Amino acid sequence: MENYAIEMLNITKRFPGIIANDNITLQLRKGEIHALLGENGAGKSTLMSVLFGLYQPEEGVIKKDGKVVKINDPNDANRLGIGMVHQHFKLVECFSVLDNIILGVEPNTAGFLQKKEAREKVVALSEKYGLQVDPDAVIEDITVGMQQRTEILKMLYRENEILIFDEPTAVLTPQEIEELMQIMKGLAKEGKSILFISHKLNEIMEVADRCTVLRKGKYIGTVEIAGTTKEELSRMMVGRDVEFVVPKDPAKPTDVVLDVQGITVASKSHKHKNAVNNVSFQVRKGEIVCIAGIDGNGQTELVYGISGLEPLKGGRIEFLGQDITKMPIRKRSTMGMSHIPEDRHKHGLVLDYTLENNIVLQRYFEPEFTNAAGFLRKDNIRKYAERLIDEYDVRSGQGPITPARAMSGGNQQKAIIAREIDKDPKLLIAVQPTRGLDVGAIEFIHKQIVKHRDAGNAVLLVSLELEEVMSLSDRILVMYEGEIVGELDPKKTTVEEMGLYMAGAKRQ
Amino acid sequence: MILLLQYTLIFASVLLLVALGGCVSEHSGVINLGLEGIMVMGALGGALVMKFLPYDGGAGFGMFICVLLAAMLIGVLYSSLLAVACINLKADQTIVGTALNMLATALATVFVKSMNTAMNPNDHSSEIFYGKAKEAFVSKLGNFELNWFMIVAVILLVIVYVMLYKTKFGLRLRACGEHPQAAASVGISVFKMRWAGVLLSGLLGGVGGITYITAGASTWKFENGVAGFGFLALAVMIFGAWHPFKIAGAALLFGLFRALGNVYGAFDFLKSMNIPSAIYNMLPYIVCLIVLTFTSKNSKAPKAEGIPYDKGMR
Amino acid sequence: MNKKNPLLRNNGVQTFITSIICIILGLIVGFAALWIINADGAGQAILGVIKNFFNKPTSATRLQYFGQTLVKTAPLLLCSLSVLFAYKVGLFNIGVAGQYCLGVMMAIYSGYVWKLPWWACLLLGIIAGAASGALCGLLKAYFNVNVVISGIMLNWISLYGTNLLLQAAKEKTGKDTVRLLSKAKQAVLPSLGLDKLFGDKYVTIAIPLAIIMAVLIWILLDKTKLGFELKATGNNVNAAKYCGMKENRNIILTMVIGGGLAAMGGALYYLSDYTQWNVNASSVPGMGFNGIAAAFLGGLNPLGAIFSSYFITHITDGGAYVDLSHYCAQIADLISAVIIYLCGFVLFFKTLINNRLRKAEERFTAKERDAVKAAEVKSEGGNQK
Repeated sequence: MENYAIEMLNITKRFPGIIANDNITLQLRKGEIHALLGENGAGKSTLMSVLFGLYQPEEGVIKKDGKVVKINDPNDANRLGIGMVHQHFKLVECFSVLDNIILGVEPNTAGFLQKKEAREKVVALSEKYGLQVDPDAVIEDITVGMQQRTEILKMLYRENEILIFDEPTAVLTPQEIEELMQIMKGLAKEGKSILFISHKLNEIMEVADRCTVLRKGKYIGTVEIAGTTKEELSRMMVGRDVEFVVPKDPAKPTDVVLDVQGITVASKSHKHKNAVNNVSFQVRKGEIVCIAGIDGNGQTELVYGISGLEPLKGGRIEFLGQDITKMPIRKRSTMGMSHIPEDRHKHGLVLDYTLENNIVLQRYFEPEFTNAAGFLRKDNIRKYAERLIDEYDVRSGQGPITPARAMSGGNQQKAIIAREIDKDPKLLIAVQPTRGLDVGAIEFIHKQIVKHRDAGNAVLLVSLELEEVMSLSDRILVMYEGEIVGELDPKKTTVEEMGLYMAGAKRQ
Repeated sequence: MILLLQYTLIFASVLLLVALGGCVSEHSGVINLGLEGIMVMGALGGALVMKFLPYDGGAGFGMFICVLLAAMLIGVLYSSLLAVACINLKADQTIVGTALNMLATALATVFVKSMNTAMNPNDHSSEIFYGKAKEAFVSKLGNFELNWFMIVAVILLVIVYVMLYKTKFGLRLRACGEHPQAAASVGISVFKMRWAGVLLSGLLGGVGGITYITAGASTWKFENGVAGFGFLALAVMIFGAWHPFKIAGAALLFGLFRALGNVYGAFDFLKSMNIPSAIYNMLPYIVCLIVLTFTSKNSKAPKAEGIPYDKGMR
Repeated sequence: MNKKNPLLRNNGVQTFITSIICIILGLIVGFAALWIINADGAGQAILGVIKNFFNKPTSATRLQYFGQTLVKTAPLLLCSLSVLFAYKVGLFNIGVAGQYCLGVMMAIYSGYVWKLPWWACLLLGIIAGAASGALCGLLKAYFNVNVVISGIMLNWISLYGTNLLLQAAKEKTGKDTVRLLSKAKQAVLPSLGLDKLFGDKYVTIAIPLAIIMAVLIWILLDKTKLGFELKATGNNVNAAKYCGMKENRNIILTMVIGGGLAAMGGALYYLSDYTQWNVNASSVPGMGFNGIAAAFLGGLNPLGAIFSSYFITHITDGGAYVDLSHYCAQIADLISAVIIYLCGFVLFFKTLINNRLRKAEERFTAKERDAVKAAEVKSEGGNQK
């Protein structure tokens, strides 16, 4: 009999309307690194929620060391030695590294904290596994990589045997990713069993021993990494050969639409630092310019500055030849600037409004939708919304009157994209327009963006996905620590070269 | 001058106690807008003990302990109404807090009136007399009347500080107010910690309530409530940046302005300016508004306060 | 097939049901309190509260007292409109009581001291309240001051300010302001014959004006561009900013309108001369807080507020009919406070109803799915043969 650390056998979990996990089996050997591969919506998160007792499966059992166990809540999972580094870290930002590590298992005498012994243990662990952290640093002041190491130390401090990493590389620089890979290998060598959730094939090929693939809630198979290829894994993941390239003609850029001249935007989190520092670039008609970079290098603030959500500390912006540095947001919008925001719940939608009201959010004040006396023309709003819902295939329970809150993330995103592109903007700013969407939706959105370019408009794309950057852009600007460190031609550069710029190792 | 000091200290004690209550509750993640009502109920509990417990004069430690415990107990019980609504049923914290403030005044009035009427059919007032019992915990140091609740306030200040920053319980409590999902992920029950936070705020608010009514007269009319002190205390808490010692400083400042309204008559130069008493009455509230104006922008509020915790949210 | 119980699904119906539940539970708690105080008369006492003017012997007096209940409903309705309007825009206007005070202050002062006609008094009152609301909104928009706390502070400042200014309109003896009907008749609201209809001189145009305001607020919120913007700002201030709405202006404008409404309530009430202001008042008028109760009981709908305001006034008035040798009139306040507390659970009640509906639906579809499965199994079995 095989020696498994944890087994999830024939797990089925249904939600109203969908089967999130359909007869899925996952067996983790002791001391191996096991990858769990699948696209967004493939059922990875649901499976992990089942493992942590957040959901109870309708069918199937979980076994630890060959014995059936019942997991009713995360505490049960912790007791079984299962720990997880979440995609969004579960760290209290105003606490120190040490406080975060001991939280929940505090060494104490009569309720009073005894941090000294905890500190010694943490220091010892960090030396043993090469996890450099300062135990007294406050989380909000340290880098994302250090935060992640804190999360790993949290698991080790609890002496967890089964370590789960949920998409751990999404927020790291290529160099930090390399470090993480080494740490994971070291942990496995020490006998820890590791489950590595990812949809990045290169990383899986590099670090994993075996890989289990899920697709649309179904179990596709488990393969030995040594005996497979990237292409095969990719086919298993999406069910067909993926086309990484969006069909498009070479760009024919003409007049300058957006001219950013040395702009500086203050940082919200750090008082004395600028999020964007003296950045200049141009975007022309008929081209897609892409801002690439690791999350948190000033892309968000750059877009806030251009769209008017944040005031500039310095510099000047020209749009269609006009100085818009101090222009209100509404004016920029009516001049022909559209903005697909990074955070659709924070900026993109009024969640308690209906779909139709969200669709007219940028145009409700136009004569078509508001009459001279200030009353809304509700039938026109309805008609317009119905047209966009139809054209962009936005699906929802009750059509135009569905509350936006009740819609799926993908359809919410499609509604925003419909609203912003249908305005027929001269400049479309799209920030991570395909985040969290399935392959079909991504293809659709990419086609819309290319079509918009071909109609003679400018597109400024901000993306964290290298694939998207490479396939969609005509010109790449890499941002690192608030500055543009390089301009690359997607046809001539490689992902590796781009990585060096993104990590600050190279600049032009 | 001594009178001003005395009033400043007693009002500062009230504000400190109640603000600490708000602080503990907010560190657990619940905004307790019902502190005003909790004060009224705590005051009611203490006043009833003072009225009915036999007492012969002199320093009465037993009387003091009973009054203190009654105020705490009633405060805790009453705050559980907020806890169950806001934590378990995820009700809107603002509405529930407001309702509890109204309910406390109505409940105390109905209770005291019916009690008075039951004892004397012609008495329809909402007042409780406890004149003599108050002497049990007021010591004279020369002209200065030391109210024992001032000492209670200082002791509780130290206890709250140690609890929040030196104990396992405090670490967990603050984690629930900052990032409840993180706390839950390491096996801390967010519901239990929030209940603890709210009940502790009830305890502190109750003590604050009884301190408030014993600050002045020997009788209290429950129809009047506590004149917005619960909310002043919340302002003190914001001004004190959710930190116990800074709150203590803020409480002293606000206590001074409140005390001026009581004792301005004793200062010749203030009296000679002939400022109407209404102006003095307004003073603490005006100061509060001004202070808030300059301190609210960079709020150090716990990040998750006011947001009901939902297990499903990750 | 999924449209079973469509009536129960309707948001308005759900609101109505939850409001009724709140009222019933509130009355039960009130009854329980009465019963604890004195079990014998409790039933009669709670009936007295519910019956209010029906306790009066003749139809003429009933009509007159009904009129008086309406007189008190008008200011409450305006206060509740103020609360619900601000709430729709995401602001909790607890400062209604203070804005109401300021309305009273300017109305009486300009009527008695400046001898202005009623409409000017009303307008000045509204402006005073609106200014106070504007201050609250400015502090929120530009200094991020919590509106609840600034509202409470302004309540007390306004109360003492009103006491101070109205010293000038005080009767020579006592602590109340003068009766406008005898001292400043030009400031009293016209009644357009309503007084004759109800047989009560205090019934004035305040009542129809308040109802008109409710309808106007409903139209503003539901039908206009401004309402669209204000509600968007309330629901998601970031999204409002993103799509170019002036979010700070919207916050301030909302508080201006809210303050104006509350002040209009105070001004109308005192300009009908039904009551006098006590210049030694040491507590903020309860009208503001009852306005919060009425707003939530009315399901935050301006038209619903008409009925909820009436109901709250009705039981508050009814409180006077309890047997005062055992009970006190504040039992009605207790009932309204319990009702607001319960209104906090409206969302909870609604989720409960919706969960019930969904479960019923799931059972229904599960049955159907099982039926389909069974059919499939059968047909598969058939194929194998």
